Amino acid sequence: MKHILKFFVFGGVILAALFAAAPTFAQGGGTTRSVAPDLTLFTRYPIQEVALGETVNIDLTLRTQEQPQTVKLEVQDLPAGWNASFKGGGDNIRAAYVEPEEDTKIKLRVDPPADVAGGTYDFTVIATGEGQKSVLPIELIIKDKVPAHLAFSTDLPTLRGTLNSSFRYDVKLKNEGDDDLTVNLIADAPPGFQVNFKLSGKDVTSIPVNAGETKRITVEAKAYAELPADSYPINVLAQGDNVQAQMALTAEVTGQPKLNVTAPDGRLSAEAYAGDSTPMTMIVKNTGTAPVRNVKLSAKAPNGWEVNFEPDKITELAAGKQIEVTTHLKPADQAIAGDYMVTFKATPEDGAAESADFRITVLTSTMWGIVGVGLIAVAVVVIGLAVTRFGRR
Amino acid sequence: MSRQQLDKTTKTKREGSPWTGLWAVVTKEMADQLTSTRMLILEALIFLTAAVTVYAAAQNIQDAANKGSFLFLKLFTTGQSPVPAFIGFLGFLVPLTAIALAFDSINGEFSQRTMSRVLAQPIYRDALLLGKFIAGLFTLALVLTTIWLLIMGLGIITLGVPPSGEEVLRGLMFLLATIFYGGIWLALAMLFSIMFRQTATAALASIAVWLFFMVFWPIIADMAAKILAPVQVGLPQELLAQAHMQSLLSRFSPNTLYAEAIVAMLNPVVRSLGLVLPFQLQGAILGTPLPFSQSLVLIWPHLTGLIAATLLLFALGYVIFQRREIRA
Repeated sequence: MKHILKFFVFGGVILAALFAAAPTFAQGGGTTRSVAPDLTLFTRYPIQEVALGETVNIDLTLRTQEQPQTVKLEVQDLPAGWNASFKGGGDNIRAAYVEPEEDTKIKLRVDPPADVAGGTYDFTVIATGEGQKSVLPIELIIKDKVPAHLAFSTDLPTLRGTLNSSFRYDVKLKNEGDDDLTVNLIADAPPGFQVNFKLSGKDVTSIPVNAGETKRITVEAKAYAELPADSYPINVLAQGDNVQAQMALTAEVTGQPKLNVTAPDGRLSAEAYAGDSTPMTMIVKNTGTAPVRNVKLSAKAPNGWEVNFEPDKITELAAGKQIEVTTHLKPADQAIAGDYMVTFKATPEDGAAESADFRITVLTSTMWGIVGVGLIAVAVVVIGLAVTRFGRR
Repeated sequence: MSRQQLDKTTKTKREGSPWTGLWAVVTKEMADQLTSTRMLILEALIFLTAAVTVYAAAQNIQDAANKGSFLFLKLFTTGQSPVPAFIGFLGFLVPLTAIALAFDSINGEFSQRTMSRVLAQPIYRDALLLGKFIAGLFTLALVLTTIWLLIMGLGIITLGVPPSGEEVLRGLMFLLATIFYGGIWLALAMLFSIMFRQTATAALASIAVWLFFMVFWPIIADMAAKILAPVQVGLPQELLAQAHMQSLLSRFSPNTLYAEAIVAMLNPVVRSLGLVLPFQLQGAILGTPLPFSQSLVLIWPHLTGLIAATLLLFALGYVIFQRREIRA
């Protein structure tokens, strides 16, 4: 109050003293105001880069040098579809009161529409005080997003192995987009293959991949059926929201011979007479996927037994083929009747030998039976002779 | 010449069926045998034996540890201390019954002075002797078959399962072997009853022979083998030869023949009855049963030996009986 009083007194003196020069003074005062305006609206960051779809909050500051006043706020030249609102103290405001030497902070909230395109957008914030105006141009640069993109990579896309081995591909999946994605992993493999995806040792079908992140996935392919030797394509597909990545892997299955020794009807038993050569049919099969060569046939039989094969060697047996081998089995002359174990073995040049145990029932000759009947016959003849000599008394 | 002619005429006079009256003799003899106190005692003894041994065997088999194949055959061969197995009893009950059936078949007729009366009928001596023998064998077979059926029936009740075809076959072969084992003793007792006038002598002689084969023959066979095939240096061949000789000699005894035959029949796992060399067992799957036909092949010599011995003993008795003078 004292201050204001002083101001009035002082002002009155000056007015009186400079009355004649008043028009000049007034003119000069106007220019002084425009050079150093009393009301200022500013922000520290007038040009901002904004991500697509984000709401922008801009901090504004209002300042006045001398005159406390109410300032109206508005936004001009806002692009169509955009919304802007001022916030102060948590509420939406339209005007603010400014005091000298005390800044008023205001927030400007700008909502670009959802379908906004990238580019530079200008608008102006205007603060209208009492007889004065402050204009603040603001530029928002909306950046286009990096389009979502997934990329597969691997060092070894082609693996080689036997039917029983599992093919493990180390695959990297990179999310090159700006969005975090949940990726479904799908494999397209020929029938007979089972493909699993593993992430840090666990089976997965769907994994989250953050923006810019690279995941190391193991693609494990295993053949569960008997497949011929060939190279099999395995297509791996990663599907994000709208993006997908694909990679072709190849499993080269090398052939493997596998022998099987059996009998025509699968019955691994036979009968043979002691001391007599009995023919027996045996089947050697190649159930593998590669041909076998130079298969030697042998038998493990009790001492004194003779075993011959016809043929005794198989030069080549293609995959999936079988061959009939006639075995001439001759138990020892002194062999006791009963069951014996005879092992037939097929040994290929390269590869694992295969054997089958046959149960051979040795039968003894019935010749002694005839001798026995002869013995009874002799006894009957003796009775007959006795009857003819002494009969019917 | 005239003597030959006489012979011829006598022979022509003797023509006619020698079988006339055979079945009359058989039925009459069987009726006598089956109603005699002697047979009743023996039958009671055998039935008691069968019931007790089978009960014991069934108790034993019902223990879980003893289950397996050929349960019915185990009824015959399983014993439970202190009761021996049924076949152990049969070894002496069958000879005893057979001897009891026949030791007085011929000399009994003489001592009762009925022989001349019988022969006064239009019956040849052939028919009389054969009829008496067949009647004895039938009686024996009847008793043994009844017991066999009894055991099988008890087996079905106690074990709760029916016997398999092979078990029945093996059982029947066992029965056949047992009947002919009895047949030998029957023929022997009949032979002695023809040879000796006194029934007691015939009975004693029969039992003496039986005891001889039962007790002494194994020892004698052992000693004789040592003499006939001595082991001088201890070579394996010598030991083998001695073992073979001993086995051969012991098989002259009907007891051995019978024992081996029923062991092979009732225990299908038995592969050989003689000496088995280790190399013969190489590769063999032990514990597997032989097929029935092979077990039969194994005991065929024994079976035919028992039958042939029965026939020969009968033939001997027949010749002696036919040559004997029978006075009224």
